[in-house]
Amino acid sequence: MKITIGLINGMIAAATPILLAALGGTLTYYAGIFNIAMEGMMLGGAFFAVLGSYYSGSWVIGIICAILGSLFMAMIFIVFSIFLKTDEFITGVGLNLFALGATTYLLRQIFEVKGAFAGPGIVPVPNIDIPFIKDIPFVGEILSGHNLIIYLTVLATIFVTFLVFRTKFGLRLRAAGYNPTCLDTSGVSKDKTRIWSLVICGILCGIAGAYLSTGYVTLFSENMSAGRGWISLAAVILVDGHPLGIALISLLFGFSDGLGLYLQNILPSQFTSMVPYVATLIALFIYSNQKKKNEG
Amino acid sequence: MKKNFLSGLLGIVVAMLIGALIMLVQGYNPIETYAALFNYSIGDFYSFSSMLTIAVPLILTGLSASLAFASGPVNLGQPGQLLMGALFATVAGLYIDLPSILMIPLLLVAAMLGGAIWSGIAGLMKHWFNMDEFITTLMLNMIADFFTYWAISKPFFDDGAYSPMTPQIAKSGWMPEFGNFNTTVIVMLIAFVAVWFIFTKTTAGYEWRISGENSLFARIGGVKTSKNYLLVMLLTGALAGLAGGLIIMGGPHRFLKDLGANYAWDGVMIAMVANNSIIGTLLYGLFFATLQSGALGMELITAVPSEIIMVLQSVIVLVVVASRGSLDIIMERFAERKKVKERAI
Repeated sequence: MKITIGLINGMIAAATPILLAALGGTLTYYAGIFNIAMEGMMLGGAFFAVLGSYYSGSWVIGIICAILGSLFMAMIFIVFSIFLKTDEFITGVGLNLFALGATTYLLRQIFEVKGAFAGPGIVPVPNIDIPFIKDIPFVGEILSGHNLIIYLTVLATIFVTFLVFRTKFGLRLRAAGYNPTCLDTSGVSKDKTRIWSLVICGILCGIAGAYLSTGYVTLFSENMSAGRGWISLAAVILVDGHPLGIALISLLFGFSDGLGLYLQNILPSQFTSMVPYVATLIALFIYSNQKKKNEG
Repeated sequence: MKKNFLSGLLGIVVAMLIGALIMLVQGYNPIETYAALFNYSIGDFYSFSSMLTIAVPLILTGLSASLAFASGPVNLGQPGQLLMGALFATVAGLYIDLPSILMIPLLLVAAMLGGAIWSGIAGLMKHWFNMDEFITTLMLNMIADFFTYWAISKPFFDDGAYSPMTPQIAKSGWMPEFGNFNTTVIVMLIAFVAVWFIFTKTTAGYEWRISGENSLFARIGGVKTSKNYLLVMLLTGALAGLAGGLIIMGGPHRFLKDLGANYAWDGVMIAMVANNSIIGTLLYGLFFATLQSGALGMELITAVPSEIIMVLQSVIVLVVVASRGSLDIIMERFAERKKVKERAI
């Protein structure tokens, strides 16, 4: 019983940053942008969350700083890919490397450490106990007591689903990806729609970053996003951008992450760390086979 | 070519101005900093030859990425392939001891084999199951990272060491050094000429170029695209693996933790700024090596943290590529205006 609860909670915790980033990625996916910059936005968010939380002593400021940091990255993406019409793939790679370089540089410049910064001054985002539900055995332990951002993520999933499929903006968003010229000729700027999708993506990735550095753990280390942005991109592609599908896939990756930790008694830790990446490959394998069947 | 040169120069100048601005904001003197940077990388023969040694893995991974992108496959697996190449060369160097004249080629082949196996996995995943190499190579990078970390901390761990690393490889496998000039540079140059020749002068290279530009056209024209795809994946993996092997054989002579971390994405970056041109890769590789090798000297003299080079590199990529595109648009407009004028007369 204890192991099951541990596995489920570990799954939820590990799925959260991937899900948040993937929700952002799916908006840009629908808008027809090949956005691979989630990794960099998340990393920027994670750094500024620690910075804000450390200097203000408030996790709220931490989250706000994370969103601003991530939005700054999104702004660079907007300037290059939309205004200067630079190749989206190159912009994304450049931005990810910029985020890595800039956070490493600032870590050294501001906190005067190399590698990682974990001061007691960083205020983490609190865990929330839901009254009444928390007293129910088993269910309470799974539904209650999670980090605030995890509950935000659930709301974000519902919000994104609603936004994409039930609003005027969502319709325009999908049109921007499906037939941009048609959108332009009907009097709605496709560039503006795309910019908004990137802005919301930036906000979601910022929260994902804040969760990484002030929720999941309370520290910032170099390159701490560790490929999660790429996994979230894979998640978006695997389910063709449907938010609920993304939630499921993210939980699957979260589960593989938790499973890795659980397997540590049997396998060397380096092998258990590989599990999420191997899981991505397996998911891609199933997806490609399915696609082949549908086409053939 | 001329336009590429112009946009490259413009991009570098703008990027360095942005870098100078960052330094000014933080209260450093940018002129002094840049002077120290170049002084410590190309100021004298000693620094120049250290710069060349740093350029070896940069140019080889850059060639790997350029060749892949220009031929079609989006091989982003250079970091993983580099690590596997380095591991193969190290393991061969630990258990085999032959005279240098046989040992060095053997280790080089082992390194290329390691890289080619790792890229070959991604190639076969695409070939058999149609899995996109763009994601598989990225995931394989992570897996290679953990795998080599395990290899150097368990089976090939040096018992006397405090952190994960292997013992030193046999002395016969060390690349000779003349003064500060490391012969890894010569191997790199040979590889460069070979790649240039294959890509621009042979039928295979012609087919790759056509496939990269228009894969459908190539297939209709009778090019075996899937065979070429596998070949390019193997060759680009071998190049990245060679980079890893040369790092081991020229430098620490053992596999240390975080060995490839510094070169991880540099190859892809260099290919992107060079617009996948083979000659451009060599030039930008040398330029990035100049920045990286000067960084430590710069930190010593001016107290500007060497990490700023990472920022500068990514700014160069973005600005050079953006200015290449913008230059195209501006030139088109000029041409249009000229046409309009001619018609008016």
